[in-house]
Amino acid sequence: MLLHALHDEGVELIYGYPGGTALHVYDAIFRQDKIEHILVRHEQGATHAADGYARATGRAGVVLVTSGPGATNTITGIATAFMDSIPMVVLSCQVASHLIGTDAFQETDMIGVSRPIVKHSYTVFDPNDIPKIIKEAFYVATSGRPGPVVIDIPKDMTAPENLFDYQYPDEVSIRSYNPPIDPDQSQIERAVEAIIKSTRPVIYAGGGAIGSNAEDVLYELNEIMDAPVTNTLMGLGIYPATHHRFLGMLGMHGTYQANMAMHNADLIIAVGARFDDRITNAPSKFAPNAKVIHLDVDHSSVSKIIEANVAVFGQVKNSLQAIKETLKERIKDYDKEALEPWHKEIKEWKSMHGLNYELYKDESDSHQILPQAVVQHVYQITNGDAYVTSDVGQHQMFAAQYYHFDKPRRWINSGGLGTMGFGLPSAMGVKLAFPDEEVLCITGEGSIQMCIQELSTCLQYNLPIKIININNEALGMVKQWQDMNYGGRHSESTYKDSLPDFVKLAESYGHVGIKIEKNSELKSGLEKAFAMKDKLVFVDIYVDPSEHVYPMLVANNSLEDMWLSKDKKT
Amino acid sequence: MIKRKLILIMENKPGALVRVIGLFHQRGYNIETLHVDVVEDFAPYKLIEDRLDTKFESNQISRLTIQTMVSDILMRQILRQLNKLIDVIAVSNEEATYLKGVLLDENLL
Repeated sequence: MLLHALHDEGVELIYGYPGGTALHVYDAIFRQDKIEHILVRHEQGATHAADGYARATGRAGVVLVTSGPGATNTITGIATAFMDSIPMVVLSCQVASHLIGTDAFQETDMIGVSRPIVKHSYTVFDPNDIPKIIKEAFYVATSGRPGPVVIDIPKDMTAPENLFDYQYPDEVSIRSYNPPIDPDQSQIERAVEAIIKSTRPVIYAGGGAIGSNAEDVLYELNEIMDAPVTNTLMGLGIYPATHHRFLGMLGMHGTYQANMAMHNADLIIAVGARFDDRITNAPSKFAPNAKVIHLDVDHSSVSKIIEANVAVFGQVKNSLQAIKETLKERIKDYDKEALEPWHKEIKEWKSMHGLNYELYKDESDSHQILPQAVVQHVYQITNGDAYVTSDVGQHQMFAAQYYHFDKPRRWINSGGLGTMGFGLPSAMGVKLAFPDEEVLCITGEGSIQMCIQELSTCLQYNLPIKIININNEALGMVKQWQDMNYGGRHSESTYKDSLPDFVKLAESYGHVGIKIEKNSELKSGLEKAFAMKDKLVFVDIYVDPSEHVYPMLVANNSLEDMWLSKDKKT
Repeated sequence: MIKRKLILIMENKPGALVRVIGLFHQRGYNIETLHVDVVEDFAPYKLIEDRLDTKFESNQISRLTIQTMVSDILMRQILRQLNKLIDVIAVSNEEATYLKGVLLDENLL
């Protein structure tokens, strides 16, 4: 019944873990062959795998877990998806209806626990409602601003003796839910007017643009506008990184030119981006001379942090399309040449600093490997065309800075919540969606240990992903902040003598491990790993532990205020 | 910061009220007073029915009156956040009404 509904919804894959209250559903899984179930090793892994699948494909990821601990173990994964607006449906089984509220074995109020981190949630009170609830849940999860939806299913609702006429609804309509789709034309005209008047515009595109599949129309619009483009951490890939108008990522660890361009712009066109605190630095000092056009599907994101002069509500793809059409009609009023001085200024910023590591990079064996070099080699070996997942910390920022994404949905990381442990299971989800594509996980020795158990899942389902472990033998980003703000006191951020031998660990899970310690081994070692097409290879790369991520915004200041290296500030 | 009143019309479903109250806590707003009724007289909400092309039926919707201490800017944010909840149909303060994401100048409530 439940599975029928999921199949009719187009679900092909479920990530899950069985348990007492889920047994009816698992028996039904056994007796069908339409939906494949992936057995993870921890429910958090199931949510991240479903999340990775959703980010790579644009379809909702589906998770199935039992009640109590099974349900609560999904919380970090649900919160991760919620913060990044990723469509996901979590089916959490529950104790039987007559036991609810009695502190029964493995009972948790999952609806209550998950409420602040879901877009919506449902409890099944009558098995006849299952098809309608499934239909609504997928509609809510994938429409408007996407997000996770939890369905709590008491055990008796899935009992095999429940027999009734099954019918899956063709369409769904919720009178109290009506996300905007097409923008208001008067706002579009105001936006185009502002674009025509601007001589220093910047397009600032985020995860919402990827969620809305807006890459083509954004590209087409900028073929007309010819404006510089920056992407948030979540937006990387929505505009080709190798395009000459691309500035790189902005924000906390953004490029010098991207932050300078935002600060000095006279017009910021925010496309599915929410002016997160990692982007704005101090909001009161943010881009003092800029007007803001904000394109978003979510009303509550607009003018939340930075006041918008023009607010365009709707699917950002449709809004961009409308702006493109209207700008085309007024093309004789638009002077592309007027942007030339702005481009010249940006070019100077690009040449002045860029990403500072280039200035001191040294690939001889007298120096330890630098983490940036690892990402650069991985980028070259994979021709910039792999699906790259990451965990959270320094390696994540290095990956975002040095792997240049030309296509959307290739860069898969936990931007909003910053969830360590996300990288490996999300890579499994991507590999299951695209078995023939190169999928790699850039991680650190801290993050990888948070969901390392999924190496076992990778063996069971033969998922030959490549794990690039940038091993600095410490919690690098924590250590960096301690170096910069706490007098170098490395409180609880190192564990050098207790790290596992990752090569042996990978081997014990049935995979291949490679250890790299010298610059001269780096390229050949990585090439060897990527040549093993049908094997999961864990590449453990020891890097210079003293390396910091730069540029870095100086806290509570403007976007102009950056640390460019350990001793150099703007 | 002054005390402001806002009114919500929402689906009378299990768990709907706690979503509204939870949102106040989650976003750091405080509720001063709260009043909840199940709506039986639909005459004042005819306009909402017309705009949503729906018909309210007995025991289907609730009306919440909430008083809270907030600034102007925060008030707008609260209205938008509340309106984003799937079970909330309309939310209004003295000046404006949000009806499922659409800002109306008239006060429907």
